[in-house]
Amino acid sequence: MEERLSTKDLAVGYGSVPLIEDIALQVAAGRIVTLIGPNGSGKSTILKTLTGHLPKCGGTVFLHQKPMETYTRRDLARELAVVLTERVRPELMTCRDVVAMGRYPYTGHMGLLRREDREKVASALRLVEAEDLQDRDFLAISDGQRQRVLLARAICQEPKVLVLDEPTSYLDIHHKIGFLEVLRRLTRQRGLAVVMSMHELEFVRRVSDWTVCIKDGAVLRAGPPEEILNGTLIETLFDLPQALYQAYFGNEDAR
Amino acid sequence: MTGREDRVLRRRYAAAFALLACGCGVCFLWSLCSGSVPIAPGEVLGVLLSGGEDSLAAEVLWKIRLPRLLAGMILGGALALSGYLLQVFFHNPIAGPFVLGISSGAKLTVALAMIFLLERAHGAGAVFLIAAAFVGAMLSMGFVLLVARRVRGMSMLIVSGVMIGYICSAVTDFAVTFADDANIVNLHNWSLGTFSGMNWENVRAMAVVTAAVSACVFLLAKPIHAYQLGEAYAESVGVDLRRLRTLLILFSSLLAACVTAFAGPVSFVGIAVPYLMKALLRTSRPLLLIPACLLGGGLCCMICDMIARTVFSPTELSISTVTAAFGAPVVLFMMVRGKRGEG
Repeated sequence: MEERLSTKDLAVGYGSVPLIEDIALQVAAGRIVTLIGPNGSGKSTILKTLTGHLPKCGGTVFLHQKPMETYTRRDLARELAVVLTERVRPELMTCRDVVAMGRYPYTGHMGLLRREDREKVASALRLVEAEDLQDRDFLAISDGQRQRVLLARAICQEPKVLVLDEPTSYLDIHHKIGFLEVLRRLTRQRGLAVVMSMHELEFVRRVSDWTVCIKDGAVLRAGPPEEILNGTLIETLFDLPQALYQAYFGNEDAR
Repeated sequence: MTGREDRVLRRRYAAAFALLACGCGVCFLWSLCSGSVPIAPGEVLGVLLSGGEDSLAAEVLWKIRLPRLLAGMILGGALALSGYLLQVFFHNPIAGPFVLGISSGAKLTVALAMIFLLERAHGAGAVFLIAAAFVGAMLSMGFVLLVARRVRGMSMLIVSGVMIGYICSAVTDFAVTFADDANIVNLHNWSLGTFSGMNWENVRAMAVVTAAVSACVFLLAKPIHAYQLGEAYAESVGVDLRRLRTLLILFSSLLAACVTAFAGPVSFVGIAVPYLMKALLRTSRPLLLIPACLLGGGLCCMICDMIARTVFSPTELSISTVTAAFGAPVVLFMMVRGKRGEG
């Protein structure tokens, strides 16, 4: 299978002290890899390092088997797009304007959109079912709608790899499922490679092809979600007393 | 649907720019006509078109009113654009060269340069003045950036900018008070802000600087637009953040320096005009806002200067008195509305 994003001996952290070391990730085309772990375990730090927002402490990130540093800004932006947790408050921008920002690596010096760009913006909006929002002010819509618009923005960038940091955290159950369905369609149909962090274990099981557990500055375990998401490992990962885990997840396990 | 929306928007933009251009044209002529020596509009046009220089009207127009008016227009545009760039940089609509103390920093170095160096050389070259102002603007900017790193929250940034402004103004006033040389009689007026006493050499210098910087800013329209979606997203689509941030600082300081070198500090135009232009165009696209700020700033300063020199004639108000009277309420309005929007 075509390997899109991978890391070798990657060490991440703020400043020169690594927070997590020896990270080995492989994300192939059409696959979804999820990072799980308690708050503050470093999931976001890993994702930020993968996207180049944070300088790495050591090791290498490969994009299409080539070190990330060999890409120019523009070429990298054409390969890799992000959906971040940070809140954006752009002034006086419609949802269409926000989505159109994804065309940045393709437009000319003045950033004017050609017909082709407009069509891609429209189809990205259609894909996330946000067409009715396109003329609304981005600040005037709900969190769930914003997240869909930001996903459309990333799709519009036509990346080969998509990195998402807790994309479903602020969404209600309806929008969580809708959002993940779009992601699944993108991976199955277009062969997009996805890396994301997530807290909702019930969804991790459903959507991911590979799950990486992170705890106390190390990769605790990695594997297919059905192997990872068993009682004992979850208890260790999140420091849960056994009785509590059983109370909440017991029936899931039985299935 | 998209097509119709586009057409509506395009009509709105065209109407807004037509309004600004007409406003500038009308104000330009009106300002040329009014003053202590009223000149009929017909005569003004006659003098401008024929280029005659022998009548009293021609003398007044070519030597006094025209350079002053052009200076107001150019510097007003420069000021509004400088404010706009700072607002982009700090992601804050209340940032501007005056409230952040950048104008005051420039004022300080220009005053010092005039006092200490002009005793040796006669008259200051326009380029020299701009250079001195730029040094001061960058020094203030440096302080503001240092503070911005330490404090979280925009209100603290503004407060520290105002403090820097006060410190610089205090030092300037001190220097001006004790330097009552014949050469610097005008320094007092200048240090309060005025467009009077402009000569053509100054107008030429400020036109060149403003035009050059505006052209450069226009070429940055694309990354500026992406920057509005936040730094992380901007970087993820390929914006060179460090380069963009450096250029924003450099250009906004250069524009503010150019204004201060010739007209002294002019308050609130840098905040109020970009806000009004955004309200008028209902967009944040830099490709539209940059020219709108230039035109709107020019128009605003022309009107304010006309008020400053004619309303209490022969006594002239300082330009900041007038711009503050109009600009400060706009800023207050912005803050009240902004609060409501967030809550």
